[in-house]
Amino acid sequence: MKFLLTISLLNIFLSVTNGQAINKTNEEKKMLLIPSSFFKTFYVSKTDKPIHVDAFLLDESAVTNGEYLIFVIANPSWSRSKVNKLFADNNYLRQWKSDSEIGSEKNIHLNSPVVNVSWFAARAYCKWKAKRLPTLAEWEIAANAPPKNIAYTSITDYIMGWYEKPAALVLPEIKTTYLNTYDLYDMNGLVWEWTFDFNSFISTGDSRNTTNDATNLFCAGASINVTNREDYAAFLRYGFRGSLKGNYCINSLGFRCAKDIKE
Amino acid sequence: MKINTFCSIILTICISAGMLCSCKNAENGRSSDTVEKVSGKEIATLSLAPMVPPPITRDHPTKVVVNLITVEKIMRLADSTQYMFWTFGGAVPGNFIRVRQNDEIELNLTNAPESKLSHSIDLHAVNGPGGGAEFSSVAPGHTSTFHFKALNPGLYVYHCATAPVPMHIANGMYGLILVEPKEGLPKVDREYYLMQSEIYTKQPFGAKGLQEFDLDKGIKEQPDYVVFNGSVNANAGKLALIAKVGETVRLFVGNGGPNLISSFHVIGEIFENVYLEGGQTIIHNLGTTLIPSGGAAIVEMKLNVPGTYNVVDHSIFRVFNKGALAQIKVSGKADSIIFRKN
Repeated sequence: MKFLLTISLLNIFLSVTNGQAINKTNEEKKMLLIPSSFFKTFYVSKTDKPIHVDAFLLDESAVTNGEYLIFVIANPSWSRSKVNKLFADNNYLRQWKSDSEIGSEKNIHLNSPVVNVSWFAARAYCKWKAKRLPTLAEWEIAANAPPKNIAYTSITDYIMGWYEKPAALVLPEIKTTYLNTYDLYDMNGLVWEWTFDFNSFISTGDSRNTTNDATNLFCAGASINVTNREDYAAFLRYGFRGSLKGNYCINSLGFRCAKDIKE
Repeated sequence: MKINTFCSIILTICISAGMLCSCKNAENGRSSDTVEKVSGKEIATLSLAPMVPPPITRDHPTKVVVNLITVEKIMRLADSTQYMFWTFGGAVPGNFIRVRQNDEIELNLTNAPESKLSHSIDLHAVNGPGGGAEFSSVAPGHTSTFHFKALNPGLYVYHCATAPVPMHIANGMYGLILVEPKEGLPKVDREYYLMQSEIYTKQPFGAKGLQEFDLDKGIKEQPDYVVFNGSVNANAGKLALIAKVGETVRLFVGNGGPNLISSFHVIGEIFENVYLEGGQTIIHNLGTTLIPSGGAAIVEMKLNVPGTYNVVDHSIFRVFNKGALAQIKVSGKADSIIFRKN
C-alpha cells in the first residue's frame, strides 16, 4: 500500500487523513525527572572534581518527524526552502519530500526521530516548546542509566553493536531500542543527539593534541584508563561531537529537549 | 652592561645554531624547498591495493588535489566471514596516494553521509602537529580541507586519528602515501601495494558470518586475524600478484598495525634493495626486513625463477593460523643453473 504521509495545516486541525498519527503527534511529549547527581567525564584526571548537575526534566524520546513537521508549519522560517543557511547547511531535512511533506511510509516514518537538523534548529524547536537542549553533562547522566527492558551483558557492547551495523535504509521509529531505568527510550542505538554545549569539550578533531583536556583523553585511550570498557563508547561520542558545527545537519543526528524544574 | 653582553652572546649562539640547522637541512635534501618553483595543478590519481598509481614524470612540483572519502561498510574478511570495516576509499587498505617531493597538497576528506562516526586523517608525510588530524576532522555528510607541502621524500602510513584512535585503526582506517624524491625512483617492471594489519574479532579465526570487534583482544594485542590487504587471501591463489621471470618487482609495503610489528619476508626470494622503513637508506640483499606498526618499507627483487612465492610476516604462526599470506606468481622459463632438483 502506498500512501503519502502528507500533512498540511488543514489536516492537522481537521485530522482528516491521518487522524491517529496526528493525534499521536499532537500529544504533549512525556518528560521524565532525572534526579540531581554528579557528573564526571570519562577522561578526567584524578584531580578533576565532578560537576554537580541539578535535577531536570528530559523528553522520553527523540523529537520525531511528525512533531518537527508541526514546528516547521508553525514556523515557516525553519522550512527547508526558507531556512537561513547560516543556521542549517544544505543537508537540512534532506530526507523529507518537501517543505511540508515528510514522504512515503516506505522511505520514512512519521514516528522516527527527525534527523538532518542543525543545532540551531534543534534549539529553536525546544524554545518553541518552552524547553531547551540538555547540556552535555545532563545528557550523559541520562544516557548512562542501564537498560531495563532488554537482556544485555554490557551497555558498551550494545552501543558498539550499533556502530557495527550499517545504517538502516529506513530509520526505525522511536521506542524501538530500549528503555532505561529513568524510563527514557533510545538513549543509545537509534540516533546521535545534540546537546546544548556539544563543543565545550573538544575543540579539535585530534584526540592526541597537546592541550590538557586532549592529553587526558589520549592517555585514557592509549594507556591509563583503557581497562574501563565504558570508555570506548564515550570516546566515540566525544569524537563525534568534536567534529560538529552548529549548522551541521547529519543523517544520524537528532535531538530531544530538556526543561528546568520550576522552584 | 653585563646583561647586554650576555644577551649578545646568547644571540650569537642562537644564530650560529640556526645556521648549523640550515646546513643540516641542506644535507637532508631539503635545501631546495625554496628553490623549486611550484607550477600547475592536478588531481591526484589514486589506486586501491594491490595496484599503485603510475610513477610521476613531472620534473617540477605542482599543486595536487587529493580527494579521499571515508566509508563504513561490511566487507569480506575471509571466505564466508565478514566485518564492518571503516575505510578510506571504501577499501582496506585505503587509497594509495602518490605525490612528488615539494608538491603542495590540498587534501579534501569527505565523510560519506551514511557514516555513523566522525573521521579524520593523520598522514605521516605531513610536517605539522597532528599530521592533519585536527584540520581534517569531519562529520558524516561533510568535507574538510587542509593543505600541506610534501617536504620529505619517503613512503609513509596515513590513518584516522579520531577518538578512539586504536579502534579507528583496528577497523581498517589506514593506507600509504608515497612522496617520490625529486629525481624519482629507478624504473622497475612492476609495482604493487601491500599493507599488513590485524583484525580483532570476538569469535576465533575462521568463524563464519559477520564478526564483531573485540576490544579486549585489541588491548591484549592478541588478534585472530593478521592479513595483507584487508582480508585472508586478498592477494593469494587466483588473486595472486603476477610477474615474469627476469622482471624486477617493487613492493610498497605498509603496516597499519594497530599493534604488531611485521617481519616482512618473501619465501624463496632475496630483496636486492630495501628502502629501510620507507626512508632513503637502501640496504642490499636482505631476506627479512622489519616494518614497524605505522611504518612502511619499499622492497625490490629481481625474479629469476618461475613459480609461486609466498609473501609472509615471518612471525610464522601468523601465516599458518591467522592469514598473513600473499602470493606472487612468476611465469617464464626456468634456469636450472640458478635452481633445480638433484
